[in-house]
Amino acid sequence: MASLGANTIAILIALGSFPVSLALTRFFMYWNAKHGIIGIDVHKPNRPKVPEMVGAAVPITLILFAAIYATLGGASSIPLLAYSLVVGLAALVGAFDDRLRMRGIFKPLLTLLCGLPLLILGIAFPGQIYSSMLHVPLFGQYHLPVIYPLTILVATSVTSNTVNMLDPLNGSMAGGMSIVAGGLLIGLLLVGAGSMPIFLYASLMFSLLGFLYYNRFPARAFAGNVGQLSIGASIGALAILGKTEIASVVAIFPNIQNSFFFLSRIRRFTEHRELTSKPTRLLPDGRLADSEDLRAPLTLVRTLLIGRPATENEIVSSIWILFLTSTSLAVITLLLTGV
Amino acid sequence: MNRRAVGYELVVFVTQWGLMLIGFGILTKFVAPLNLLNPSLSLGLYFDSATKALIALVLSVTWLFIWDRQVRLYFHRRGK
Repeated sequence: MASLGANTIAILIALGSFPVSLALTRFFMYWNAKHGIIGIDVHKPNRPKVPEMVGAAVPITLILFAAIYATLGGASSIPLLAYSLVVGLAALVGAFDDRLRMRGIFKPLLTLLCGLPLLILGIAFPGQIYSSMLHVPLFGQYHLPVIYPLTILVATSVTSNTVNMLDPLNGSMAGGMSIVAGGLLIGLLLVGAGSMPIFLYASLMFSLLGFLYYNRFPARAFAGNVGQLSIGASIGALAILGKTEIASVVAIFPNIQNSFFFLSRIRRFTEHRELTSKPTRLLPDGRLADSEDLRAPLTLVRTLLIGRPATENEIVSSIWILFLTSTSLAVITLLLTGV
Repeated sequence: MNRRAVGYELVVFVTQWGLMLIGFGILTKFVAPLNLLNPSLSLGLYFDSATKALIALVLSVTWLFIWDRQVRLYFHRRGK
């Protein structure tokens, strides 16, 4: 009962991140539009201008609520500090990329460094950030004393960049990641995990829902790299802190497929804006269709358009269904792992 | 909604999930218990870990290759 009480309190505190994220998103929409930080929604015939970098509301909310939870004594401040640093550093890398338009290779390299707080604080405070024992569904566990700490850096870089790559349509990233965070939250509640990862997953889900309110079709706010990278880094950091490593990989199957097919065709790290062969094209009636360009990457959106054009709303619904499926598999994975 | 594409993707995800569980099973039951090098040797622990990581990498690449073939099969059947 004590555990149930702690988890309930954690979720109730995390619930506060919804209105805060909503208010911050509204503020950034106004401020960024006023200061000319604007992107163009290229998937609409009239190409409307939309405030960019509004996703900054999410990392700010996450860090604020991690600080509140630490102050209230909900959990040890060390893992919450590590989590906040990872999210904050990834947001900084994203903000630099939004403003300076870095070359494609710099994002994966710089986001490798974002995992350093987890590694350094993990070494300084053994047992508080990670344990090098990997729990495997059905088959028990094994000890990875050398590989596990190195994987932490790769994990945050992979999750942040793969989330960054699957935000082509209104609400696809924010909705998809809300489903992932919500599903893993349910999984952790079912396996009786500690209140700290439950709080962090809940605050991530509620923050994303606050942002999604303005990012859903037709979008009035774009996340920008600042939002995408920090949300991805948050998923990576939570996989380590919550011991949901394998389940998190399963939950982001749509992102993995999208990134893998993008990289396997292009064979280098590059920005979508630098692509000469586009995977999709906009029809005069506003629907999206497969570009039929064989040199273009076989992205997830393109896969969903093969043989049948669709509206943006339909494609986003399809992506959310894929996230619902992968997250359901992730919950089963958590139950089979039993951590 | 492109039900055929979504349905096919769901089949791919479930297949990849099953293969992933089998792969982790192989790593846990067969690869991890191996003593490839004596840990008391100089850098023995690191070489042992590196060899096992290499085996995990080969399994991961095979896993991605199967994923790749499944999606390409669908793409070339339906799109071209």
